[in-house]
Amino acid sequence: MASPTPRPFSLLAEVTHRCPLHCPYCSNPTELAKPDTELRTDEWKRVLAEAADLGVLHVGFSGGEPLQRPDLAQLIAAARAAGLYSNLITSALGLNQGRAQELKEAGLDSVQISFQSDLAPEADALAGVSAHARKLEAAHLVCQLGFPLSVNVVLHRGNLDRLDQIIRLAESLGAERLELANAQYYGWAFRNRASLLPTRGQVEQATQVALAAKKRLYGKMEILFVVPDYFSDRPKPCMNGWGNRFLTVNPAGTVLPCPTASEIKGMRFENVRDHPLAWIWKESESFNRFRGTDWMPDPCRSCEFREIDWGGCRCQAALLTGDAALTDPVCKLSPHRHIIDRALAAEGASGGALVARQNAFGATY
Amino acid sequence: MTSEAIPPEARPRLSRRARVQTDKVTGKPVLLYPEGVLLLNPTGHEIVKLCSGDATFEEIVTSLAGRYNLPAPKIAAEVSEYLERLRARNLLDLLPQPSDGGEDRRTA
Repeated sequence: MASPTPRPFSLLAEVTHRCPLHCPYCSNPTELAKPDTELRTDEWKRVLAEAADLGVLHVGFSGGEPLQRPDLAQLIAAARAAGLYSNLITSALGLNQGRAQELKEAGLDSVQISFQSDLAPEADALAGVSAHARKLEAAHLVCQLGFPLSVNVVLHRGNLDRLDQIIRLAESLGAERLELANAQYYGWAFRNRASLLPTRGQVEQATQVALAAKKRLYGKMEILFVVPDYFSDRPKPCMNGWGNRFLTVNPAGTVLPCPTASEIKGMRFENVRDHPLAWIWKESESFNRFRGTDWMPDPCRSCEFREIDWGGCRCQAALLTGDAALTDPVCKLSPHRHIIDRALAAEGASGGALVARQNAFGATY
Repeated sequence: MTSEAIPPEARPRLSRRARVQTDKVTGKPVLLYPEGVLLLNPTGHEIVKLCSGDATFEEIVTSLAGRYNLPAPKIAAEVSEYLERLRARNLLDLLPQPSDGGEDRRTA
């Protein structure tokens, strides 16, 4: 590497893969970390301190459902002590008054709650559990306690036509930010792609709705909406480059350049139980494998956008072409773009019943 | 994203979503918020410090114009541009005239 190792700014702490929900587009890998492999409290505290020393400023406590960890408040307090800004990324199941108060006192900075729809029956059907009403209650609680609230909704064929109502739900809850996250087709969502993938018409309509809402709510609620990558002819700048700004530590302590990277076959990722986090970030083979631009094949190597989109997503290249070192097939310059076009050509066709995420080892709630 | 310009009598206040602290690595000020980080340059830091909800936009401009000995319209344009960057991320509350007891849109 000619250039110095970049500095990470943000850590995604996946403290458990246990989750009471069964969303068919879950972004967790299909091979979930077992509860008995999870990092202990003291191990997470060390990871948080090492991350802060490495330059990380920001930690998202995620999962699975992070509230499944009884020691979450201790981890948040450790993050605060290390000077990290902390965000809880939650389904809100398990976020009662006592728990929310405990997290507030521990120094939690903000809360992001996921919603599946604006309609309870549809939301509960997707989650596979009666969750919507409890989420509404938790959102009110979060605001009452003075946390800034973000709402996250995964968008797909089944709810994209209700985007306007979904935006109004977030507004009515007092959310200060709304992430409209188009489903990304890895792991569970890839299994269900034929049923989740929207039509081009839906995407175009939703883009207009999102733009109008952005304008209407400017300065009141920030809205994030990005056209789903399959419908774009340029790849997303995934993680802003491999090993560039972000790192994920999964429940078992494996350190990943992106949350889904563990699904890339043939790659080995290091664990915080074996190495200091700084070594993994700077020296490990896995973090250096796709760092920068030296690894790039054509057409990326000579592309003027190579330091803008970084060749797109390594996980998507691996999943769709079988080789993580190829250009993301979303790119119109990729020799594999036809794989995406073939998926799009089946637009609107029934993909059969959605396969719910299975929680083999259950969750308490 | 287009928006109405910040009125001179509005009192900008940094959102409770944001926290300013010193970066351990560089020793420089950073603004942290739920989804990201802004590295503050010295001017940006000065502007953010004045966004306490006490001073009006006009007063902030006057104060900075005096400190940097630059014409107010030039400073106004720069402050406005900077504050719009914060507003676009919903990191800035614009409080109305001071006579209302300091309530903002969330408690109004």
